[in-house]
Amino acid sequence: MAARREPIAVDKVQLLLSLAVAMFALGLVGVIVRRNVLVMLMCMELMLNGVNLSLVTFAQQLGSTVGAVLVFLIFVVATAEIAIAIPIVLLLVRRKRTLDLDAYSDLKG
Amino acid sequence: MNALKLIVLLPLVGFLVNGLIGNRLGKRAVSIIGCGLPLISFAITVALFIQLGASGQPRIEAAYTWAAFGTTTFDIAFYFDRLSAVMTLIVTGVGTLIHIYSIGYMKDDDSYARFFAYLNMFLFFMLMLVLGRSLLVMFVGWEGVGLASYLLIGFWFQDPVNAKAGKKAFITNRVGDAGFLLGIFLLYHALGTLEMDRINAAFLAGPVAVSASLVGICLFIGATGKSAQIPLHVWLPDAMAGPTPVSALIHAATMVTAGVYMIARLNGIYLNAPAASQLVAAIGVATAFFAATIAIAQTDIKKVLAYSTISQLGFMFVALGVGAYGVAVFHLMTHAFFKACLFLGAGSVIHALSGEQDIRKMGGLRKRIPITYWTFLVATAAIAGIPPLAGFWSKDEILWFAFASGSGGSFLVFGIAALTALLTAFYMFRLFWLVFLGPSRMDPDVEHHVHESPITMTGVLVVLAGLSAVGGFISIPHFLEPLLPLPAVQPALKSFQMPLVALSVALGLLGLAGAWYFYGGPAGRTKAIKARFGGLYRLLAGKYFIDEAYEFFLGRPLHWISDHVFLRIGDRALFDGTLHGLAGLARGSAGVLSRVQTGNLHLYALLVLIGSFLCLVWSWAHG
Amino acid sequence: MNAFLANLDTLLLYVFAFCALVGAVLVVVLRQPMRVAMALISTMVFLGGIYGLLGVHFIAAFQVLIYVGAVMVFMVYTIMLLDVRDPAIKGRFSRLLVPGVIGGAIFLAALVHAVNALLGRSAATAASFTLQDFSVAFLNEYWLHFELTSVLLLAAVVAALAVIKGSSRHGGETGADRRG
Repeated sequence: MAARREPIAVDKVQLLLSLAVAMFALGLVGVIVRRNVLVMLMCMELMLNGVNLSLVTFAQQLGSTVGAVLVFLIFVVATAEIAIAIPIVLLLVRRKRTLDLDAYSDLKG
Repeated sequence: MNALKLIVLLPLVGFLVNGLIGNRLGKRAVSIIGCGLPLISFAITVALFIQLGASGQPRIEAAYTWAAFGTTTFDIAFYFDRLSAVMTLIVTGVGTLIHIYSIGYMKDDDSYARFFAYLNMFLFFMLMLVLGRSLLVMFVGWEGVGLASYLLIGFWFQDPVNAKAGKKAFITNRVGDAGFLLGIFLLYHALGTLEMDRINAAFLAGPVAVSASLVGICLFIGATGKSAQIPLHVWLPDAMAGPTPVSALIHAATMVTAGVYMIARLNGIYLNAPAASQLVAAIGVATAFFAATIAIAQTDIKKVLAYSTISQLGFMFVALGVGAYGVAVFHLMTHAFFKACLFLGAGSVIHALSGEQDIRKMGGLRKRIPITYWTFLVATAAIAGIPPLAGFWSKDEILWFAFASGSGGSFLVFGIAALTALLTAFYMFRLFWLVFLGPSRMDPDVEHHVHESPITMTGVLVVLAGLSAVGGFISIPHFLEPLLPLPAVQPALKSFQMPLVALSVALGLLGLAGAWYFYGGPAGRTKAIKARFGGLYRLLAGKYFIDEAYEFFLGRPLHWISDHVFLRIGDRALFDGTLHGLAGLARGSAGVLSRVQTGNLHLYALLVLIGSFLCLVWSWAHG
Repeated sequence: MNAFLANLDTLLLYVFAFCALVGAVLVVVLRQPMRVAMALISTMVFLGGIYGLLGVHFIAAFQVLIYVGAVMVFMVYTIMLLDVRDPAIKGRFSRLLVPGVIGGAIFLAALVHAVNALLGRSAATAASFTLQDFSVAFLNEYWLHFELTSVLLLAAVVAALAVIKGSSRHGGETGADRRG
């Protein structure tokens, strides 16, 4: 297996964390601005990836295994989430006959 | 060491048992419990009385510490001295007799158990009143007997007239109680204690921080309410709507005498309050005269007796006002005997005549209900002051001290009291004649069913008549002298004592003669008088229209204020308006805020973004 | 050349980071869902590269296997199933485009500022970890989480089956049956 690596330098950490928050923010903006339901789901995946990146960065920097365990759990959760979200979207589309999110306003009021 | 507590608590047990499970016990068991427990209380009282006579020391029993803060405590304690002994004997003795009478009188009533429960409850509170050591316990008893009175006056509450009468009694009493409470507050503020023996000692020892006259007047206001003096006498005639045993027990023998007892007990205050004592005497004599004049023109047998009670209570207050406290208690005792006998006799007559109470429709009952006739005669003679019956002794003492007492006796008071004594004899014999003698004026179907009352009723009547006859020989003033000293007589008037006795006898006989003349003879005599003094007759028959005046000057403005100020402005506009306003505010704001829920996921996500941004900012701001 | 090779790690890190960012932007911007999926896949792959450069190879492997290999494949399958050229959609962007972008910019600025401030304070650089540490921790301290993930996946399977069963009872018309 890989030998013990040096902890990463400060500017690299800065870069990676900035990338992580950028992905998170972009994902959130994508949820707000896109109409297509499937694209929204993919933007949510983008958010999760951003979080994963930050977790890994911190875990490597601090040497704690908790971060890595959490990353693994996020993988599992993301998989389970997608496994359910897609069928729900399928059912919704079957009912509403469109992928446009504005048509799904049944919970209004 | 628990005898006093037992005396007080036994009737309470009777109340609870008869009240809670009385309906299931059957009339026999209810009667035994209802009459037996007061009888046991009476027996214990007699035993304690004998013991008191031997030792002479008042007996104090502490029962319970009701409240304690810092060093001050409010205790529930019972106090048994000569005065309490006399009162307790009267209450339990006459009370038990009336309970026994009720067995016969209320035999056919559906709410038999409830009646006995209420009677026992009344006894409990009355005993608390007379045995209490502090004004606090007395006040509890005071209010409690007011409650019992309300419940019993309105006993047949299905008829709204009865319920109204009960309400009137309670509310009028409450007006008086405001004065009573003020007196209690003043006493506590000045002396730091409410125990009556200590209060008396403090007032007799020297000047006190509060004006004795002020306290005396405040307490007397309470007494006017409870003992039906002017101006709070209006409830007593209406209280006749209750069953006759109630009228006898509560509104003749015991409850209405609570005011007299209270002033006699707190004689330390009144001995140092000449202004208050004068007021007491003045109102007492005015009430006595006023009520006697009304009684002349009344046609309901119980109303005549009610006004007679008010009048006799006035006599008692005259005695209190001139410093003769023991004499007032003496008259209280004899009055209990003969007034109870009169009321129960009236109940017997009503029972015999199947509910008829109008004396214009009676007459000719002498041979038909003989026991009632003879006992009523004895009691009537007693109240009229015919010697050697009980009423003569006590009334004569009152007249003597009203005339000659060094602390407040005057010719004016004596004169009005003497005139009232004359009127008393007159209207009582008028009542007697119209009810029992002369030709029968009864309705034919009523006349058919006239029958003597059962032994439970007539037996009690005989006992009470006997007490009315010989009760005067128990010299209560003498007995109470160590506790309630008789006032000093003005030396110049000492010689008038015997002539005054003669005068009292003469007044009684004169009243008898007058009644004989007007009512024993042909009916035309009364009709002529009625025609000549028509206006006066209407005034007296209408009770001086005091109820109507109260209604006009007090009732209507209060009703107007209630309706316009409290209901329309206060309740509807303010309270309901505020609540509706709040509800409207909630509805409005909910309407506005619900616009956030568009169902649009984009908007929700945007709100999530804004929210997390704000959280970030907040966590920065707070380190 | 030596300098280039010496700093290869850092250089590659910057390249991968930039490419991942470009992919992320494309995810938000592209019109057609299939292209969006492709952009996302590329972002994820570059992210995997970054993990590898950081030394956590096993996480890089998980990233590609699970995310790209399972999640994105499922996503692509669904996109192909549903009619992508849905005429009912009125344009790419929702009504909240402008507020979203502005809010997002502010939010991003705030987060970047937070990140820099955070780094300014914590100068600690402790030892890093290896796969061995990770697996030991996972099966010792975090064994409960490990078991719970199995339960979660089971629940997901059951839920998916329920959805299928339920939908098949109502008749099986999906968007794929419509042809524009």
